[in-house]
Amino acid sequence: MKQISLVAILAAIFFISHQSTAQTRHTVNGYVKDAENGEELIGATVLVKELGTGTVTNVYGFYAVSIPPGTYTFQFSYLGYQTVEQVFELKENVEFNIELPVEARQMEELIITDEAIDANVSDIKMSKNELDIKQVKKLPALFGEPDIIKTIQLLPGVISAGEGTSSFFVRGGSADQNLILIDEAPIYDPSHLFGLFSVFNADVIKDSELYRGGIPSRYGGRLSSILEVRTKDGNNKKLGGAAGIGLLASRFMLEGPIRKDKSSFIVSGRRSYVDLFLKAANQDNLVHFYDVNAKVNWKHNNNNRFFFALYLGRDVFSFEDVFGFDWGNTTGTFRWNHLFNDRLFSNTSIIASHFDYKLGLEDDAQGFDWKSNLQELTLKQDFNYFLNTSNEFEFGYHLTYRQFSPGRITPTSESSLFTEQAIDKMYALDHAFYVGNQQKISDRLTFRYGLRLSVFQNIGKQDVFIYEDPKDNIDPTRIDTVSYGAFENIKTYVNLEPRFSARYLLNATSSVKLSYNRMVQNTHLISSGTVPIPFNTWSPSSPYLKPQIADQVAAGYFRNIKDNSIELSAEVYYKDIQNVTDFADNAQLFFNDDLTTEYRQGNSWSYGLELMAQKKEGRFTGFVSYTLSKAERDVPGVNNDKTFLANYDRRNVLNLVGTYDLSDQWQFGANFSYSSGRPITVPAGRYEYDGYQVDYITERNGYALPDFHKLDFSATYIPKKNKDRKWQSSWVFSIYNIYSRKNAFTIYTRLKEIEDGVYSDEKEAVKISLFPILPSVTYNIRF
Amino acid sequence: MKKYIIAIIAIVVFTACEETVQLDLKESESVVIIDGLVSDQFKNQYVKVSRSIDFYAEGTSKAITNATVSVTDGATTYNYIHNPTLDSDNDGVYFSTVPFSGEVGKTYQLTVQVDGTNYTAEDNLYPVTAIDSLTVIVNEDEFDEPERKNYFYEILFYAHEPQETKDFYLFKFYRNDTLVLDSPTDIYFSNDDLLAEEINGIPTASFYKLGDIGKVEMYSISNAGFIYYNDLINLLQSDGGMFGSPPVNPRTNIEGGALGFFQASSVVSESIKVEE
Repeated sequence: MKQISLVAILAAIFFISHQSTAQTRHTVNGYVKDAENGEELIGATVLVKELGTGTVTNVYGFYAVSIPPGTYTFQFSYLGYQTVEQVFELKENVEFNIELPVEARQMEELIITDEAIDANVSDIKMSKNELDIKQVKKLPALFGEPDIIKTIQLLPGVISAGEGTSSFFVRGGSADQNLILIDEAPIYDPSHLFGLFSVFNADVIKDSELYRGGIPSRYGGRLSSILEVRTKDGNNKKLGGAAGIGLLASRFMLEGPIRKDKSSFIVSGRRSYVDLFLKAANQDNLVHFYDVNAKVNWKHNNNNRFFFALYLGRDVFSFEDVFGFDWGNTTGTFRWNHLFNDRLFSNTSIIASHFDYKLGLEDDAQGFDWKSNLQELTLKQDFNYFLNTSNEFEFGYHLTYRQFSPGRITPTSESSLFTEQAIDKMYALDHAFYVGNQQKISDRLTFRYGLRLSVFQNIGKQDVFIYEDPKDNIDPTRIDTVSYGAFENIKTYVNLEPRFSARYLLNATSSVKLSYNRMVQNTHLISSGTVPIPFNTWSPSSPYLKPQIADQVAAGYFRNIKDNSIELSAEVYYKDIQNVTDFADNAQLFFNDDLTTEYRQGNSWSYGLELMAQKKEGRFTGFVSYTLSKAERDVPGVNNDKTFLANYDRRNVLNLVGTYDLSDQWQFGANFSYSSGRPITVPAGRYEYDGYQVDYITERNGYALPDFHKLDFSATYIPKKNKDRKWQSSWVFSIYNIYSRKNAFTIYTRLKEIEDGVYSDEKEAVKISLFPILPSVTYNIRF
Repeated sequence: MKKYIIAIIAIVVFTACEETVQLDLKESESVVIIDGLVSDQFKNQYVKVSRSIDFYAEGTSKAITNATVSVTDGATTYNYIHNPTLDSDNDGVYFSTVPFSGEVGKTYQLTVQVDGTNYTAEDNLYPVTAIDSLTVIVNEDEFDEPERKNYFYEILFYAHEPQETKDFYLFKFYRNDTLVLDSPTDIYFSNDDLLAEEINGIPTASFYKLGDIGKVEMYSISNAGFIYYNDLINLLQSDGGMFGSPPVNPRTNIEGGALGFFQASSVVSESIKVEE
């Protein structure tokens, strides 16, 4: 079955290529940019009016259109920018870069012309959202810190893992099934302060998009979603910057040309100062985080462009100078965009990512340091081949080397009771070959199809233990140890991942879309909680851990109304996951030499309906999203082999998000969120054992936390610009949780306290809620 | 981890609030709970048999007084009788009819019959290392800001951990013969995976005042016992499955559907008087 589909697609590609060589064609290619700062525009529309067809710029802002000789009017358009037309008398290949001016602010409701942007309907992509960072900045934010992850948590099909967390669940998938990329480099833990903020500093973000279905073949490695965040290249026309002072953190960003129009840089930093408050409150506890983004790029010409991007972030906690821990991500991306010829675009990237955490206790008798890290190095070679206006190919090869160091404990003093111990490191090589084509079949019908071949190798150096019973986690008995040398193959898994999307235009304002994708995940998060924490470790697929495989089908109806000013969509999906990684009840996941005996893999499935209405232009913008879904798991060895609701199941989720520009001085934002409560395990009874009052548990996730809802409000005030000043300031006032609902973060049980330190035998259930009404103010400047 | 992470977040946001809530719980079938110990001390050994109650019920586990209880080491069988002294505190507690001491190296098997259902368990009795000494120090933080007036002495514990054997330990701390815990969900136990040979003065639970007598008991437990206590503390300190795993019943060595644990232990103890 697999072989047949591969052969069929290769044959189709060959057939199309062969057919097309018969005609003479010329190519117009180049980059579409923002006229103000020279940033490339991703996904800008290039329309050849005479043919009624065209293309969109790729993720690097590049486009190419290959058409027979003639005279053509090209129209370049992008949301929020003026549309520009250019006439070409096409006798030879043309290189044409265009800069689009930003659209003048529309104080009246926008009058939409016939050149309206109807991507919602006409684009083949479904189950995908782009985030407008300008809108994110206008929305109310926790502690006044704009955060794309918090906005992503409001999208249809996306569920927040919990208030104040940076984790999210996509279409019945756990948080570790999301691939989170910053400039192509994976971020293993996107949280600061356990998730209050995410690692993404809004000042440097250019573009971010979330795929939750219909995932193109160039992406792989995680089951449920791809969140791709791209940072700005830096203004290559003039020096500028921004700074902000918030309640918990402050930011600074500087960008500018190194050589005008050719080369630019951006550098940005952010640091929290919670620790100053704690110091003021006379606490010896120190808590802070920081992050740094830096990027330089050199656009030599259209044929060769180079980028180097760096991200560095860290959280540091210290308690009374005795106990402390910290964690952080470091990523680096080097990228070379090259044009081999007028139609063959190449991207070569070398990407490094590193995540680590440390825990330490300073003490003579029991001092220790515990370190764990994960690092990877990736080589990516991607090609775009713009064959003609009906076919755009992409293909490439990705190679990743990963090293997992689950933990090493070192005593910190001579007299410490600890001995030096380390859990064996694990290594993996991940190859992926992919090919895809977007093919216009007719004016109404477009297909995108592709294949990704994932070849995963768990490699040495490692000692693999053979157990009498590999699932015996009570008394694991090793009967043999097999030693593998460096780079020696331990286990290989080969998987073919077909991807398919179709769009059929019903008329100018409505379409239906269909997609299927198979995703394979070979890095597994070792956690059985709802929300990942930085102290979780990851493991590669291995002889004891099979790749997780997800199949998803989705169908949707898309319609634009009121001259494309309002976009409506309705999607349904079904997702089935094989070998979903879970852990035995009572699994010991920290510092366990025999961790493999805790692995349990099973099935997970989910289905749902997602509705969205969005208005992107005008004084009032915003969206409404509603998701009805169910997600279950059935894992042998967990919950007495019975099916249970997944931690990421939420039946109903509704979000209303809006911003309103009252004047040049005042902008308002509001957000209402409602969600069914998280499934939770509560006791069915209680008993005494050796003086302890113990809960009696009968089923996992059999109860639901109370429903979650809250309303937030924000106002941005931009004082009239003083002409003598080079900078523009703004104030953002936010009120989080206006009606101060005590939303349940979690519920746990404890003994009733009769008086201070004296406890009853009886127990009570306690709800923790994190945030009451929280006003905040942030002061920003741009220069 | 677990609840501590929530505590840390609470410190960071300093807005978190706790509130008692009433759960709307389904009625559940009760389960038999067995809590028994055979120690190497010569005495009437005990087994406690009870039944779980509803979460919101008053009091604690319901005593089962009509069970049949016996323990055997393979050669000798010891019969147990229910609360021979008719002490109301010992309702549901069965004592061996004759005093005996468990012996290192033997496996003890428990049989409990409740209303026609048999529950069995077995545990091995392992040796325990000696406590070298206890010392008393003044805890400076407590001295500066005592949680309880005059209670700022701390007892430190010293021992040699035999590196050639795989050992598991359970500790109990007493102040003037009353069990003390730093928190009501604390259990003090350890395996020796990460332990070096010298245990040089690790602090024990709670604080003491002048004149108090502190006592440390150290029990040997089996691997099954270590797993039981590890599961039990995870359950007692569960955060409701937010960052940690969802709460689940501890793995027990009792077969037949009862919860609890049947433990065989060597015990050593050491006392110290808190003086200037």
